[in-house]
Amino acid sequence: MVLMAKEAAGQDSLIIGVDVGSTTVKATVVDPDTREILWSDYQRHHTKQAEKVLEFLVAIGNQFAHVRRENIRIFMTGSGAGPIAEHVGAKFVQEVNAVTMAVEQLHPDVGSVIELGGQDAKIIIFKVNEETGDKQAITSMNDKCASGTGATIDKCMIKVGMPMEEVGRLHFDDSKLHHVAAKCGVFAETDIVNLVKSGIPAAEIMCSLADAIVMQNLSVLTRGNTLRHRVLLLGGPNTYLPFLQECWRKRIPQTWEERGYQYPRDVPVEELIFVPENSQYYAAYGAVMYGLHEQAEVGAYKGIEALKAFIAHGRKAKLGENAGPPLVRSVSELEEFRRTYSIPPFTPASFSPGQKVRAVIGLDGGSTSSKAVLVDESGAILLKEYQLSKGNPLEDTKEMLRRIRDKVTGEGAELEIIGFGATGYAADVLEKTLRADVNIVETVAHMMSAVHQFGDVDVICDIGGQDIKVLFLKNGDIRNFRLSNQCSAGNGMLLQAMADQFGIPIQEYAETAFKAELTPKFSYGCAVFLDADRVNFQKEGYSKEELLAGLALVLPKNVWQYVVQIPRMAELGRTFVLQGGTQYNLAAVKAQVDYIRERVPDAKVYVHPHPGEAGAIGAAMETLRVVKRRGYSTFLGLDAAIGLSYITRNDESTRCTFCPNHCSRTFIDAKTPDGQTARYISGFSCEKGTVEDKEAVIRLTKQRQELKKHYPNLVEYEATRMFQHFYDPEPMPTADETVNDVRVTRRWLGLGGVRRKVYTRHFQRSSAEAAERRSRMRIGIPRVLNIWSTAPFWRTYFETLGIDKNNIVFSDYTSEEMWLEGGKYGSIDPCYPSKVAQAHIHNLLFKHHERKPLDCIVFPCITHIPTHLQNVMDSASCPIVAGAPNVIKAAFTKEIDFFATRGVTYLDPAVTFTERHMMKKQLFEAFRDVLQITEDESDFAVEQGWRAMDLFDAEMQERGKAILEQVEAENRLAILMIGRPYHSDPGLNHGVLEEFQVLGYPILSMRSIPKDEQWLRRFFRDDIESGRVEHALEVTDVWPENFSSNSVQKVWAAKFAARHPNVAVLDLSSFKCGHDAPTYGLIDKIISTAGTPYSALHDIDANKPSGSINIRVKTYAHSLSLHEERLQDLAAKKAELQKRIEQKRRELLGLDTQERTAVMESTGFAQTGSESIPL
Amino acid sequence: MSTTTEISGNENAIADELRRYQEEQMQALGLTASRQQWFDPVPRQFLAKDKASTTILFGGLTMAHDYLIEGALSGLGYNVKHLDCPDNESLRYGKEFGNRGQCNPTYFTVGNLIKYLTYLRDVEGKSKEEIVANYLFITSGSCGPCRFGTYVTEYRKALRDAGFDGFRVLLFQQQSGLKQATGSDSALKLDTAFFLSFLKAVLLGDILNAIGYRIRPYEVEPGATDAALERCKHRLYEALRQRKWLIPALLACRRELQAIRVDRTQAKPKVSVIGEFWAMTTEGDGNYQLQRFLEKEGAEVDVQLLTAWILYLIWEGRYDTLKRMRLRGEDGGRYGLAGKNPVMRLRMLWAADRVLRLMFYSYAKLLGLSGYHLPDMDEVARVAHQHYNNHLRGGEGHMEVGKLILNVVKRKVNMTISVKPFGCMPSSGVSDGVQSLITEKYPDAIFLPIETTGDGAINVYSRVQMMLFKAKQAAQKEFEEALAQQGITLERLRNLADRPAFAHPLKTSRHRVACTAANAVYSLRRFPWLSVRSSKEEMHSV
Repeated sequence: MVLMAKEAAGQDSLIIGVDVGSTTVKATVVDPDTREILWSDYQRHHTKQAEKVLEFLVAIGNQFAHVRRENIRIFMTGSGAGPIAEHVGAKFVQEVNAVTMAVEQLHPDVGSVIELGGQDAKIIIFKVNEETGDKQAITSMNDKCASGTGATIDKCMIKVGMPMEEVGRLHFDDSKLHHVAAKCGVFAETDIVNLVKSGIPAAEIMCSLADAIVMQNLSVLTRGNTLRHRVLLLGGPNTYLPFLQECWRKRIPQTWEERGYQYPRDVPVEELIFVPENSQYYAAYGAVMYGLHEQAEVGAYKGIEALKAFIAHGRKAKLGENAGPPLVRSVSELEEFRRTYSIPPFTPASFSPGQKVRAVIGLDGGSTSSKAVLVDESGAILLKEYQLSKGNPLEDTKEMLRRIRDKVTGEGAELEIIGFGATGYAADVLEKTLRADVNIVETVAHMMSAVHQFGDVDVICDIGGQDIKVLFLKNGDIRNFRLSNQCSAGNGMLLQAMADQFGIPIQEYAETAFKAELTPKFSYGCAVFLDADRVNFQKEGYSKEELLAGLALVLPKNVWQYVVQIPRMAELGRTFVLQGGTQYNLAAVKAQVDYIRERVPDAKVYVHPHPGEAGAIGAAMETLRVVKRRGYSTFLGLDAAIGLSYITRNDESTRCTFCPNHCSRTFIDAKTPDGQTARYISGFSCEKGTVEDKEAVIRLTKQRQELKKHYPNLVEYEATRMFQHFYDPEPMPTADETVNDVRVTRRWLGLGGVRRKVYTRHFQRSSAEAAERRSRMRIGIPRVLNIWSTAPFWRTYFETLGIDKNNIVFSDYTSEEMWLEGGKYGSIDPCYPSKVAQAHIHNLLFKHHERKPLDCIVFPCITHIPTHLQNVMDSASCPIVAGAPNVIKAAFTKEIDFFATRGVTYLDPAVTFTERHMMKKQLFEAFRDVLQITEDESDFAVEQGWRAMDLFDAEMQERGKAILEQVEAENRLAILMIGRPYHSDPGLNHGVLEEFQVLGYPILSMRSIPKDEQWLRRFFRDDIESGRVEHALEVTDVWPENFSSNSVQKVWAAKFAARHPNVAVLDLSSFKCGHDAPTYGLIDKIISTAGTPYSALHDIDANKPSGSINIRVKTYAHSLSLHEERLQDLAAKKAELQKRIEQKRRELLGLDTQERTAVMESTGFAQTGSESIPL
Repeated sequence: MSTTTEISGNENAIADELRRYQEEQMQALGLTASRQQWFDPVPRQFLAKDKASTTILFGGLTMAHDYLIEGALSGLGYNVKHLDCPDNESLRYGKEFGNRGQCNPTYFTVGNLIKYLTYLRDVEGKSKEEIVANYLFITSGSCGPCRFGTYVTEYRKALRDAGFDGFRVLLFQQQSGLKQATGSDSALKLDTAFFLSFLKAVLLGDILNAIGYRIRPYEVEPGATDAALERCKHRLYEALRQRKWLIPALLACRRELQAIRVDRTQAKPKVSVIGEFWAMTTEGDGNYQLQRFLEKEGAEVDVQLLTAWILYLIWEGRYDTLKRMRLRGEDGGRYGLAGKNPVMRLRMLWAADRVLRLMFYSYAKLLGLSGYHLPDMDEVARVAHQHYNNHLRGGEGHMEVGKLILNVVKRKVNMTISVKPFGCMPSSGVSDGVQSLITEKYPDAIFLPIETTGDGAINVYSRVQMMLFKAKQAAQKEFEEALAQQGITLERLRNLADRPAFAHPLKTSRHRVACTAANAVYSLRRFPWLSVRSSKEEMHSV
């Protein structure tokens, strides 16, 4: 306790200010006359806020016993004050207001405040109104997102494992910063874990985190405003972490420089950006200051009796109203559940001396842990091994193999390994070094394990520590699957983290949770949000038992509603298998089983008896099958494997040099049996690190280029071709040429509308000077959003008007670097494709413009885009896409007009691509003055632009048609990328298409599908004949509300894929995409009804989820290869059918070959398989 | 001839045999399986013969509107039932059965229907078949460009997934009038009578809401306003249901409202709630009961009326026609004028605008809503255009930006809250970005954009309180300036508290500043002789 200022005696009135935060309670007692602090204290409340407040009030009561209660007023602030305030008569004061009041009182010269709390981050900027001289406080708080708050720092600090004292001594050093995604607390944690694993020094990681958090707050929380000096830093992290303060001092002046903000350069930065003393009391003190503005009767202190009663009884009663049901309702229910679902303890097989054990080994080499199983020829599991990863899969494997061997031979038995199979991320290196018989992707391994155990399974739900995999099966094969991306919502870590919060070992989670009699209703979804909920529920008074139970109940919701997104589970089937390490937690199992049963009453829900080892078992089973079929094993042999020697190297030569991070890496080189070296690289934090050196990159790229040549990627081609000059516009007519024009007049009194009269006149040309001026002009166009649908138009329009083709400058393709450089202007947070537009404008202004000045930047608000489809309600752009140019204008002219200061004209006219006349008017009005053109010239250029668009479409369709016909002839598959036009940007699709291309599948874009009704009729005949649609190019049969152009094209492309036997679908969709959302269900229906091979990468965002992409590609490749086999079988059967028919005919007619052919033609039995045989 | 016939007969027999054989072999080889294709039949029939046995469900506006529309449609002989205001339970249903990543209004409204149907099934014990046969849902639709236009898609998906396949959702389109869902044997007659009844209910709902928000903050006896409004709503409901002459009911309502005692000497900040249409209109969990929360925190709330929305739709039609009338040729498509008579269209829209305003002001006068001005849509569009292009549509379009500017420039309110439902494309994705520039240009604007996610109410309330504090100071300042200018002390004001400007519930003072109490102070006449002259002038001008 701190007793401050003057003696309490003699005081006759007081104002108490209490700040109830997410981790601490702070209180001050203030003399209303002098505004002096008489008493203050600051303590952690350990989630017992009300009790701590009571404790403080008792202490204050004792200290100021002589002051009469009528003379005491009380004001409370902080996120936890709400439920407590009313019981003591306090008036609640919003935190930001409280802090603002305190700062205004204590530091009248401060220009902005940055406060980082446990759960929130706040920025206050005091702006002076130049007209009135008034000071306005612009305040902003984070919404529900935990990014950039103290909670994120706390969590990451634990992961880094740096002791608090050391953190307190750390200094900010920006020479070695690593990528940490501060956008989301969960992502940040993932990045931190990866950095730790890569062996990055803790200090570098902490600095990277500080930098990420500072940048996040500067770019998002300021909502595009510039901080004013002096800057006051408040809140726990800012106070106690000097390196964080230093980071602010580094970054804030940088933003000032960038934005041309004038600040006193002679004042030392420590004074410009500073942490005051006693900063922890600012909110509490500010609450009192606020109170001084209120009328005297407000905040009259009522004493502590009501608060005591609330602590004793009130909370529970209140909770009962909103609480949900418990995990178990009765003892008997729990007992029965336990009987059915407790996982039987595993008893390893015992061996007798002299026994000969013939078995295979299956190994699952995960990133955090590895598992191995020994399985005998009959499929019985003899032994299980588990190993926490040490970062070297070879060593992990050797150790586990040794333990297996020792156990068997230790009991005197003889072990003969007849096969070895691997799955997981270590599988590739094990295949090379140990000559594994089997190397399968995790999803397939999990499927095999479940099918082996339970036979005909419909759904497998695997919940591991890091991810969720849900597999949907049909006929013993994966029909579809869903993976959680980077998001940790619903995985085992969530439960683990909650248990950690309460210091409960995870093994006791279920026991504790089953004790709860009621549960708080968590809203499902993001893990960080759940944590915020947890804090709120704790405030409301829920116990740890109830919170643990409540969280277990959220798990199935997160799995099925958030990750899997399947509302009607009954459609999936009857047999569900739960596996993955999380199933050892019976609370999670109980919640899952109840959830499934509620929706599928007759469901059979099984828990895999070896939930954690399902992957290893799957690998073992596949090994048994493969070895049996092949008759021999390729495995190196157990002893050779255990004795495998490898060399690890970790020095300057192994350091990654592909980016400025210079990550330290370890090379693990093992000799393969054929004398080659197999290298495993560990310790990298991004995928660039998987390649050892420059030559290797060149080799790899060359290999890939070679493969890419064989398998065309039309998406990539389209993305390049679209922006090139490929059409020479016709020359502009001269002033001698005549043109037809129309005179528009209103008829008399307007009856009958408008009259148009055609007349002839000369073509109007602009002056030679104007043309000369245009030939020197440079125009920048951002390569974003609707430009991806219309680029050839814009290039040709401007070229026709005389702009040199080299002077039409598109911004670069999206890249991570571009986003990092130019993503700081925004005040809003829409989808990434729209958000990234600011980085493109930045790229134009600060890269291209610097190189050679641009005269203007054209970023039109394209309200409608062209469509090939018939019977649509409209062909509208997405409102965010159409409005983005206006948002960009606002962002780049807000405080400083970046265009004006650089002498660039920014043009963002509204343009429609569905009404030619209207478009001409819009374009002429938009460019008349800047380009000094006549209306005739502009109109002519519009027509040329359309010509280029048509040519481009025709070329793409020609190429697409060739591929489609080829794959059909060869019974192969092509992959059709369905997405929005801008998903062709390699920076937005993260190069995922290339992964499939190098696997040997040609890639089609939606634009490359032929749009010729005649050609398409073959595929849509049934739909047209049944009257469901009038045209092949129509979607009204599945979607009458079809006004959104890009969505309609996507739905139609899905329809096409569903009808073409040789097309598989890869569906890309961006995180937060508003117009994709309504189509998820439609596309799923279209695709799944037809049984088209399908994989989706939804929720794509700025960062590339490499791991998840990898698993997806491998799993999808597995189903694609099966599908291709089926196509080949089908073709073989069709050929067989033709043969049999011919034979039959021969029998019937007894004709020789020549005659036979003639008759066949006349009877219409030509060899047109696809005509007579429905597919 | 006969030989030819024989041969061809023979050939036919062979061909038949081959066909039979082919089928048999296809069966044997497993080549018969054909690919199924998905089709969505879109059930929309509502036949005249089913009128008596069918209950029309609808909802989603304010509680007053939903209730009055129910009355109006009952008056036309339909069985109607309005759904309750969507709550968080509705949101949960919406999220479970809707597509992932939808906007919040979709989840709330779609979930609300599913919630009610589930109630019919699970609590009232009706079978799925009964529900599908005897109920239908009616909603409005649009042609985009935001997701509002795909609500019906979402309704169908959620209904299918929740086990109500075939449940009918009828919609009448906003822009293209009321032509859908009608036909000669359709039970739903979307004729003038229907349209007028509907319009009446909308206007009356608007006016009652507007009066309520004006009086409630100043009521002397807590709850008096709501009680009076309830009685008014009931009276109007009955009048609409029985298709009685409205004027007596309106006058009776006015008497009810007149009896509420108010005290307008309290300086309260006036807070305008703008934003996305649904989020700012709903009165439930969809916006955290924002209007009530603001009143509880001591603000006077200024809401946007549905009538203004209709005026916006009319404005759109006029704007688009005017922009295209003088083109060299007529384009096709939804906006193009090919095959349309633009002059006639403009006249119709002009007339619609006038009739709407006339009806509104007439009812307003009878009910006692005085001094209310419906927005000038051209002005809103004009001030917004350079920041938010008038051609951009979806949601409120440029209106959020335009309204904010006018609120500040004309000192209409002390604070503006723009409510954006989570995931709203035009509002969160565009308006928000532009509005940040507006606040920079008008530093006096007290502006708060809030995103409604359905949870995290505490944080939202906290942010509202944060800004409201400033608005209170602004209102207080206006009030004190008014007193100072009029030379009145607070004590003296207490003596004047029974003047109509302060005590008459339906009286409004001329607009000078945002704060109502300050305007009332300004309306006090300083010199009695001046008042005589000014009233003479007023009479003269009339």
